[in-house]
Amino acid sequence: MGSKESCRTELRTAIRQLNDRCLYSASKWAAEQLVGIEQDPAKFTPSHTRFQRGSSSIRRRFRTNELPSTPTAGVSYITTPVPEEDDLVDSDCYLLAKSYFDCREYRRAAHALRDQTGKKSVFLRCYALYLAGEKRKEEEMIELEGPLGKSDAVNHELVSLERELSTYRKNGTIDPFGLYLYGVILKEKGREDLARTVLVESVNSYPWNWNAWSELQSLCTTIDILNNLNLKNHWMKDFFLASAHQGLRMYSESLSKYEYLQGTFPFSNYIQAQIAKAQYSLREFEQVEVIFEELLRNDPHRVEDMDMYSNVLYAKESFSSLSYLAHRVFLTDKYRPESCCIIGNYYSLKGQHEKSVVYFRRALKLNKNYLSAWTLMGHEYVEMKNIPAAIDAYRRAVDIDPCDYRAWYGLGQAYEMMCMPFYALYYFRKSVYLQPNDSRLWIAMAQCYETEQLHMLEEAIKCYRRAANCNDREAIALHQLAKLHNELGRTEEAAFYYKRDLERMEAEEREGPNMVEALLFLATYCKAQKRFEEAEVYCTRLLDYTGPEKETAKSLLRGMRAAQSLPSMDVEHFPP
Amino acid sequence: MAGSLKPVGAFAITPHKVSVCILLQIYAPPAQASVPFPFSSVSQHNRLGLFLLALTKSCDDILEPQLDELINQLKEIGGLLNHWLSEHLTRKLSALSSPDDLFNLFSSLRSILGGPETSILEDDQIILDPNSHLGMFLRRCLLAFNLLSFEGVCHLLTNIGTYCKEAVSSCPPYDLPDEDDSNNDLEELLEYEDMDLESFVFRKVAEEAEARKRARESATFHTHTPRSLLGLVEDIQVSADSKYKNCDGIGQGSEFLGPSHDTFRGDDHNSGLFLRTNWQVQGYLREQADLIEKHGSSFPLNAFESILKQLQKLAPELHRVHYLRYLNNLYHDDYPAALENLHCYFDYSAGAEGIDAPSSSSSFISYGNYEIALLCLGMMHCYLGHPKQSLEVLTEAVRASQQHNNDTCLAYTLTSICNLLSEIGISNATGIIASSYSPVTSIGTSLSIQQQLLVLLRRSLKRAESLKLTRLVASNRLAMAKFDLTHVKRPLLSFGPKASTKLRTCPIDVCKELRLSSYLLSEFGSDGASLTIDGAFSTAWLKNLQKPMASSVLSQENRSENGSDAFQFGSQPSSIPGYVLQLAGASYLLRATAWELFGSAPVARLNALVYATCFADGSSSADLALAYVKLIQHLAVYKGYKEAFSAMKLAEEKFLSVSKSRMQLLKLQLLHERALHRGHLKLAQQVCDEIGVLASSVTGVDLELKTEASLRHARTLLAAKQFSQAAAVAHSLFCMCYKFNLQVENATVLLFLAEIHKKSGNAVLGLPYVLASLSFCQSFNLDLLEASATLTLAELWLSLGSNHAKRAKALIHRALPMILGHGGLELRARAFIAEAKCYLSDPNFSVLEDSEVVLDSLRQASEELEVLEYHELAAEAFYLMALIFDRLGQLEERESAASSFKDHVIALENPKDDEGLLLDSYST
Repeated sequence: MGSKESCRTELRTAIRQLNDRCLYSASKWAAEQLVGIEQDPAKFTPSHTRFQRGSSSIRRRFRTNELPSTPTAGVSYITTPVPEEDDLVDSDCYLLAKSYFDCREYRRAAHALRDQTGKKSVFLRCYALYLAGEKRKEEEMIELEGPLGKSDAVNHELVSLERELSTYRKNGTIDPFGLYLYGVILKEKGREDLARTVLVESVNSYPWNWNAWSELQSLCTTIDILNNLNLKNHWMKDFFLASAHQGLRMYSESLSKYEYLQGTFPFSNYIQAQIAKAQYSLREFEQVEVIFEELLRNDPHRVEDMDMYSNVLYAKESFSSLSYLAHRVFLTDKYRPESCCIIGNYYSLKGQHEKSVVYFRRALKLNKNYLSAWTLMGHEYVEMKNIPAAIDAYRRAVDIDPCDYRAWYGLGQAYEMMCMPFYALYYFRKSVYLQPNDSRLWIAMAQCYETEQLHMLEEAIKCYRRAANCNDREAIALHQLAKLHNELGRTEEAAFYYKRDLERMEAEEREGPNMVEALLFLATYCKAQKRFEEAEVYCTRLLDYTGPEKETAKSLLRGMRAAQSLPSMDVEHFPP
Repeated sequence: MAGSLKPVGAFAITPHKVSVCILLQIYAPPAQASVPFPFSSVSQHNRLGLFLLALTKSCDDILEPQLDELINQLKEIGGLLNHWLSEHLTRKLSALSSPDDLFNLFSSLRSILGGPETSILEDDQIILDPNSHLGMFLRRCLLAFNLLSFEGVCHLLTNIGTYCKEAVSSCPPYDLPDEDDSNNDLEELLEYEDMDLESFVFRKVAEEAEARKRARESATFHTHTPRSLLGLVEDIQVSADSKYKNCDGIGQGSEFLGPSHDTFRGDDHNSGLFLRTNWQVQGYLREQADLIEKHGSSFPLNAFESILKQLQKLAPELHRVHYLRYLNNLYHDDYPAALENLHCYFDYSAGAEGIDAPSSSSSFISYGNYEIALLCLGMMHCYLGHPKQSLEVLTEAVRASQQHNNDTCLAYTLTSICNLLSEIGISNATGIIASSYSPVTSIGTSLSIQQQLLVLLRRSLKRAESLKLTRLVASNRLAMAKFDLTHVKRPLLSFGPKASTKLRTCPIDVCKELRLSSYLLSEFGSDGASLTIDGAFSTAWLKNLQKPMASSVLSQENRSENGSDAFQFGSQPSSIPGYVLQLAGASYLLRATAWELFGSAPVARLNALVYATCFADGSSSADLALAYVKLIQHLAVYKGYKEAFSAMKLAEEKFLSVSKSRMQLLKLQLLHERALHRGHLKLAQQVCDEIGVLASSVTGVDLELKTEASLRHARTLLAAKQFSQAAAVAHSLFCMCYKFNLQVENATVLLFLAEIHKKSGNAVLGLPYVLASLSFCQSFNLDLLEASATLTLAELWLSLGSNHAKRAKALIHRALPMILGHGGLELRARAFIAEAKCYLSDPNFSVLEDSEVVLDSLRQASEELEVLEYHELAAEAFYLMALIFDRLGQLEERESAASSFKDHVIALENPKDDEGLLLDSYST
């Protein structure tokens, strides 16, 4: 990692340059990382730093595996020189165009720059044209929606822009920003390979443009593609890799990368949110909640990623925090898909599913490709027992992202609810294929096999075994395995699994009917195997419980004593 | 969006419709004399009217025609006026430069419609009746325009702009994208654009067929020389090419080409493309679905797939596209893709656009019709040969349809379970059946599979009858007939008073069921499911315009004649729906099979011929191939191999690459048969192995093929005089047939076992087998096989010594009428020889007195055997003849017979004709 100081200067220049080119979201991202670096102690008041230190200590408390924040050995970063601006003094036309652009009058901005030849001007003109086309496209999409759902709206500027930019690229008169725009256009035209090459060129010559990185990430759909990218070793690459790994569902790799980055950017909200995202995918809800609480304290008007926080709150059923969050984002910006999603979650938690569907729908109106809203809406429809609508919603999620295992799982569940377990298996198989380490999915599939219609117990056992092997939190799998083996008359296996289940319950200090069942089975089993001492232990433990089992245990004990005393009685009867 | 369905059949206004409206305005200008301005005669005027009518109705294609196509059609129609018409049209269209022009155009259109009180019409004024077809069209256009928002009007305007522009630059205006990155779908398409499109698509089809052909050839028959292969390929290309040139409308090539041509034309230029109305696109898709089902694997996979992909892009809410993709993949045996698309289709449509009878709407809203998804999935598994999954899914379908009270679906599901059970061998009833049938039949597991099948068949027939599903009734009756054909009905109850039942099949039942199933032909009208697409005529007519004969259109007299021509040209203008034809045809096919089994060769042949001639259009290519197979088999048995192979060649051309294995199997069968007769055992064994490979490895699937293969294997072994191995193979085959309840095959296998014992010289051991076979034949009414068994019995007796000759003779004479009437060449020859042998070994018979009796039959036998090239038997016949001539002292004849004998023995002992020769005679 370059020193914090060099990062800081690089970012400062980059922000200015990105701003000049009206790449606002990239400059926002860069600025966030800039303040994420530990502040210059000279420039800030002590009170400020104290606050920062305090907050980070809260986080540290929850960090399970403290990673050494030294970089992995052998990684050497290359320094990319910050390019000099070609025209130090902006022309008047450029200033005019930029003001138009800032007022979102894109076509006017492009027109103002029509005769300018400087790289900056050319880029801004192309970018403005592109955005104008996008804006028109979005409008057309709404206007054109026909009976067959046809929305063939295209950005009409793409063709001419592509032609222009490709000639620049051939002439070698294109700058990294132009390359970025060219990549975006190529991606939209479906020429992904070329788009990847162009974007790699762009980030290699100007790594601070986060927009380019995220476009590149969206083109890396498999790990092979990611590994084959020819990227220079800049520190921005670490951000990219972390994010790309997350996109490819390699959460632990991504997590370690982010934790390493935190060494340089300890106060970056972005990194914290991303860590939260990874933890969420690993289902570490406690940690996610802590991170988000801190995030909200530092940045109370943040809306990004807050839908995930609401999911956590939903899972933990904390009504008041969820409503507080919903209220807050509602006041900040109610027309953000995330806000609608949070409100939908709140209504769902309150059991008002119709209202929640309304809000998910609104979220989808704002962003048709908002994946989690489709899935959540599917859940709502399932709750409302409107299965066809649920299936439709899930299916749309799947069509947007065929790797969304939650939606596949939802589809399977919906069909299982309709008493079509065999049909549902197809979907469970898909979801399990995508997320093979999730015990819930395996358990769902096993239950499907177990239904009385199918009654394919061998397959169910196989699924439960997989579930038991991947950290089954609710401990359903072990119990079911034991039960199924018992049902199939394989007492030895059944005993093995009951024992494991029992050990687990002891370790987690759980009680309940499962415990009684396990004890009872083991007692009978040991008795049948003539391991009376073990059997006695189980029986005495059973005596602690009330109910019919207690009586059974008593009679078992009595029987065993009788059996044990029988040989001794023999001895008594027939003395030598 | 989920849960909300878009209005179906919406009518959007497109540039093409605007042009039609402009033409309408020319056709009926407001307030004009009887023959308005540009027209010189009434006929010319009417001609335009007809054209407009056809335009508004035609819907064969998914995309609306471009302006240049429309102008071309106009040229055909307008004759002298064509220039004026197209000029006027383009002028009007390009004059539309602002939204206000459009408003003016449509308000002027309104005036050509008559008012509601059309009774007060002046005679010589042309006013469109608002209720006529054209009037309705115009009104719909007006309404659609009035409903447009201002944005909509702007879009229409820009669309008209591109529509005109494309007509002006009729060559494709797009340049190739500049550089690299060639693994791109889109780009590929663009590249195609620069080629001659039609030839390209055609070539693609031909290539596909060719590749498949080649794969098949090389995979199944390694003995081909490359030269002959090349020849074959060229042959196909030429024949297909000429077909394409003729463009006879019905030929598959041209039908597939039409849409794909349009598709390739504008993949990137969505702005210039307009879909027809929802209803018309649905019609198109339905038609294509029928075509896929009809042509099976010969349907061009990739070409159609790309059409569908484009359609999906243009109309993402049209879910039926997924169904078509499913069908397309299914018939090309792409299991994962088919599965994916099936699930996708039903996830979106919830079974809303399912089988013909729509279920009650109330249950649909809350549950959807997902049971139809199960039904389809079950049929898919069945088609692909996964019996276990299929049964599982269909059982689930039964449960689901019972739960949702979908009786129609239930009836269909029961029928498909019956099909599954009758097609696929399931040996043990417990396990799957026990759990799954209790809801269906509730008759426990004490019954055998066959009995359960019978119960199911009866129930599903009754159910279909009560639901008035005519189609289903017909196909159930066919299934019933099939069942009756090969199964003895046993009483279902194992207790109680037993009625005296004959344990025989009942041919009368078969005939009755077959006849009943054909009642459908008269009843289909009441089915309520007339599936013909209204616009088909019009499309055919429009397409016809471009044919050269359309130039003679102008003369008035020709018109009516031309009209009838158009009818002939139409893809299927018959008023009988395709499915009726299919079912009626199927009954004929089944009749042919039945007669084959019962042993009447001429009737069987007759039925196959009827099928091949009358039902060729409506039937699926697989069924048609079956009919051809039957005919060719008949030829081989009754006319010898030469004719069979030449017929085979014709058939193969017709069915290039069709229907997995039927034709191929036939070819292998014929080759095997001939190799055996010629004594070329190595080749026989090779061919036999090839047959074995064709069958699926799953137990219970492809039983027919498997029995065929192992029977042939045993026969090859027998011909090689490896008696014990042959007996072992036959024995295991018998066990399999017994396990899967294939009784008819059992009779054959038993007879074959007797044959083995006869050849190995253990006549006594052969007797019980042949007797068992005889009793099988009797109880299944297999008359021809029975005659053959009787013959074998006679031969066995004969080989036991001359004192049994009389008994043998009596047996032969009993069987002779049947054999002479219906038997094939081999059987007849065998009978003749056996008869002669009987006479010769009869001590009371003297050759000198009655030589002609023996000689005549031997002569006949030798003639027939020479046609068959059956060296072994022919040698025997000539040997006997030589002996007799020797006795008679006719030395010359004796010498000729002896030399023939020698020829045959030499030919048998060193089968000089290697593969090359075999193939030569095959390809000539």
